[in-house]
Amino acid sequence: MTTYDPTRRDVIKTTAAAVALGALGGTLMPPWEAVADEPPGDDRPARRTIDYRKAKATPTVCFGCTTQCHVIGWVQDGRVVRISGNPLDPNSHGHICSKANGIVHGTYYPGRLLYPIRRVGKRGEGKWKRITWDEAYDEIAARLQKLRDEGRPDKFAIQVGRDKTSGLTARFLSSVGSPHGLNRRSICSSNNRLGTMTYYGTIMDWGAPDLARTKYVLNFGSNLMEAHQGGFGGIQRMQEARVDRGAKLVTFEVRPSATASISDEYHRVTPGSDGCIAMAMAHVLVKEGLAKRAFWDRWCNIPFAEIAAQVEPFTPEMAARESGVSADTIRRLAREFAAASPRCTTLLNRGAAKHVNGIHSSRAVFLLDILAGNVGQPGGFGIVNRGGWKGDWGHEGLPLVGEPGPKPPKPPKWKPGMACFDELPQEVKEAYERLPDAWKAQYQGELITPTQYPLAWQWQVMKVGQMNYPWIREGRAKIDTLFTYCFNGGYGYPEAKVCRDVLADESLIPFHVSIDIAYSETAALADIILPEATALERWDGQSTNAWDYVPFTGVRQPLVKPPGECKSVWWIYHELAKRLGPDVFQYWDFPSDEDYYKRYYANLPISWEQFKRQGVWQPSGREPDYQLFERPLTAEEMEGASIDEATGLVSKEIKGKPQTIGIVLDGTPVRGFPSPSRKIEVRQSVFEQAAAVVGLSDHPIANPLPTWFPNPAYEVMKENELRFVTFKWNVHTQGRTAHHKYQAEIVHGNPIWIAPETAKRLGIADGDLLEVEIRRPAGPVWNSDPSRTCGTLRQVARIVPGVAPDLLAVSHHLGHWEYGPIGAGQLKGTAGAEAMDPALLADRDIPDNVWWAKEKGGIGTGVPLNDAMPIAPTPLSGGQAWYDCVCTVRKVPS
Amino acid sequence: MADDVPYLPWEHVGQEPVPTGKRVGLLVDPRRCVGCHACGVSCKTEHDVALGGFRIRTHYLRRPDRDTHLFMPMMCMHCQDAPCIPACPNDAVVRRADGRVEIDKDSCQGDTSCIAACPYDAIHLDPHTNQADKCNLCSHRTDVGMVPACVEVCPTEALRYGDFGDLDSALSKTADACGAQPLRPEHETRPTVVYAGLQAWMGEAARGVQLQDGENDIVYER
Repeated sequence: MTTYDPTRRDVIKTTAAAVALGALGGTLMPPWEAVADEPPGDDRPARRTIDYRKAKATPTVCFGCTTQCHVIGWVQDGRVVRISGNPLDPNSHGHICSKANGIVHGTYYPGRLLYPIRRVGKRGEGKWKRITWDEAYDEIAARLQKLRDEGRPDKFAIQVGRDKTSGLTARFLSSVGSPHGLNRRSICSSNNRLGTMTYYGTIMDWGAPDLARTKYVLNFGSNLMEAHQGGFGGIQRMQEARVDRGAKLVTFEVRPSATASISDEYHRVTPGSDGCIAMAMAHVLVKEGLAKRAFWDRWCNIPFAEIAAQVEPFTPEMAARESGVSADTIRRLAREFAAASPRCTTLLNRGAAKHVNGIHSSRAVFLLDILAGNVGQPGGFGIVNRGGWKGDWGHEGLPLVGEPGPKPPKPPKWKPGMACFDELPQEVKEAYERLPDAWKAQYQGELITPTQYPLAWQWQVMKVGQMNYPWIREGRAKIDTLFTYCFNGGYGYPEAKVCRDVLADESLIPFHVSIDIAYSETAALADIILPEATALERWDGQSTNAWDYVPFTGVRQPLVKPPGECKSVWWIYHELAKRLGPDVFQYWDFPSDEDYYKRYYANLPISWEQFKRQGVWQPSGREPDYQLFERPLTAEEMEGASIDEATGLVSKEIKGKPQTIGIVLDGTPVRGFPSPSRKIEVRQSVFEQAAAVVGLSDHPIANPLPTWFPNPAYEVMKENELRFVTFKWNVHTQGRTAHHKYQAEIVHGNPIWIAPETAKRLGIADGDLLEVEIRRPAGPVWNSDPSRTCGTLRQVARIVPGVAPDLLAVSHHLGHWEYGPIGAGQLKGTAGAEAMDPALLADRDIPDNVWWAKEKGGIGTGVPLNDAMPIAPTPLSGGQAWYDCVCTVRKVPS
Repeated sequence: MADDVPYLPWEHVGQEPVPTGKRVGLLVDPRRCVGCHACGVSCKTEHDVALGGFRIRTHYLRRPDRDTHLFMPMMCMHCQDAPCIPACPNDAVVRRADGRVEIDKDSCQGDTSCIAACPYDAIHLDPHTNQADKCNLCSHRTDVGMVPACVEVCPTEALRYGDFGDLDSALSKTADACGAQPLRPEHETRPTVVYAGLQAWMGEAARGVQLQDGENDIVYER
């Protein structure tokens, strides 16, 4: 039964020894080789065990993914030994996922950066010397001071990936005078956020349907069980609703994900057809009289007849042709959904939204909630405001929480006559002239307010991160000094090579400082690397959506001091500010990072010591935020308010500015939605406006009503071509966990998933080596031309039943060539070793027991795929259309 | 949550020894499991488990009736007739009074007889210590009133811990109510880990806790 081979370990030991000897031959010996285990003898190394009588427990906030669960860190002998859940967390109920303990291994990873280093060779050559923090600060501050002296602080930018610093990035930029806080939202959630924003006027961070109380969920492309932003609280609620209370989960997906697997029904669909299915379901609800007319008439900004006409052409038969789901199934599911109202909800994420039609697909899906009248109802589609506690809609009654003063002024908007504006290329200036005046007034250059993508900034400033590097290359933006923070676009952005090429070019980016934990593909292209504290070693504020609609907040606090010379980003900005003089330092003049966060939370009705002890604070006795839009305005709120006769809008002056606070409906002033009309804006004129600005008025994307249109790349797909998508795993987060040893042990390979019927048609067997050529996009997308290849990748085939037909699927996360021995799977050595320290961070498993590394005869650590994925910003929003790709495939000899 | 101090559980664990029970075990519910691997990574962190060896591992089993997967965590079954105990020439596999089966680190000489004897492949040899290693239901935790690490983290209560020796315990009642069964009862080892909603094909498909030959990419069963 057992297949254990006691000799196998010996083989591995021998191989490792040979490798270590080879490594001594020329290249620098990697730090982890120096501390490789001695063979076990009488002096066996003791296994670390946790003694809960002695270990110290401290509440903090996880950074393993995007969810921000409250956790307890256990510290023994000065090291974090374990993360468990904080039972006071109303979302997680004290549970955690695999990624929480992963960050322990990221914190003590032998490849972790511990000391500041400066490059001594060419940029990207991998030659470094260790420097002191003073040397680093002085050089960086001198660069920033020069830009300030020249009156061009806008040439400073900070590009973040996952920025969990409670506003520090923007604060530092504003302190220096630059607007250039660059982010990555467009490669993540911008299209789905536009779905809720264009209806309700709030982006909600992430959708929070009331899964704990629902009876029926139609899931369009959310991988809730593995990779849904903020999704951890949804996992337990969905499973309890399903298993204990008989709720039904129906998932439309393109591959048998964990979410598809636990669903009561999984329907394989053509990528990007989700919106068509939703429009057809809306058609059924309208045709069969299943829509809740009273809710529609009260809250929507168009008459019911108008939406009835709009959904008319989207028959279930049409959706069946586009999606592969039968018309009968679409009809049945629409009826089941309506029958469960109001305890029914849609669930949506990138699977439906990261397409060229993704904004409209999101709107089409959310239309079902409006028609079913489940909006804001227990068990329905929740409308909440995002975290932040800034006194916005949905924050009523909460103490104000946030950055302590004095706060730096916001950098100025750009206008003709300013140097930054005047040096813009002529075509950008012409595009600026086409913007409506209100939009012009927001303009801050192409990286922040790109003229080609007005919906990336016209409401919420989301930006178009994947275009930053092409635009810098094209001269549409000029940056002198770039910080990258928790950002690895050189690996993870579409056409990542463009990002790397620009970062490697000193004429385009004269100075690049990377602030990071490990030696990433992007850090490799820096001039100076600053080693950062991990999430277990620093402070941060936290507030996010509450799955049960009672808001809560909490604090990340350090469990241990960082090893080596790592510093938290707060201290890095503090020290740089000090060197930039009193006019900058006035915004950073706090005795400590803890003091800063103590002030951040000063308004909480709880002592700082008690807050730290609990980790979480939630107002007691607050009713869940159901149907906030129906709450009558109080007499106090109505005091001094005026009512517009024509629209019913209630407004009053708050802090010197006139603001809309509600709407009179049927004679009663109620709060309404946070949209400009306080109604659900089913007709959304911003699409027409934005499309006019960029010359797409005739494209269906200009449609102000919910709609769907096909992916232009599929329209011109050839006989021999296949669809191509990427996906995410439950044990990994973006590109930043592939070096966490226990997560990597579970998922380290990314074979090409293909359905058996497709493989059979193409003569592909499991394990065959394939070469995939991915085409450029089609239609009104940047740099589109489906006849050209964007890039290729080679990987083995894995035949997986349940994958959509004529589709290849490959997971993200993997295929790193940096990130040390586990991330890159190269046990022999790494660049950046000057910043590492074998005496400080040793792991007895690394490298000897990395059994999946190629050097150990394993399959290795996957292939990078993002170089082959085209940059494909959705028109208007710029949201990356990740899942619209078309490719060819051929077998190659292995 | 006002400023008066709520009960903070993490401030109270570990102070006093807590009796565990007569026959402690687990109820595993694959109907609830979402395959998230929280149990596996938490277990390995808790016990500092070497790469390549597993005390618990979640299998992704291909369902026979549809094109998706069933998730099934496997660990030591803490058999009442545990073949690993008599197999050890050094008496290093021991049963505690609460029924769980443990490796006695003072006696284990790295003989691999227990590994060969286990029908669930639940035991591995720690390459660092050259000693056998397997799930012990986190006795260092349960002895001070905590639940095993895997149970604590599981977001969907797919893993539950308790005392089967007490017929009135929540675990016994839940297991009875759902007709929980041991995996592969044909081994006749009388496991104290039982599975809810078990069907015969699942026992066939879930081969063992450790990596099998050629299992280089460990997530999906071929």
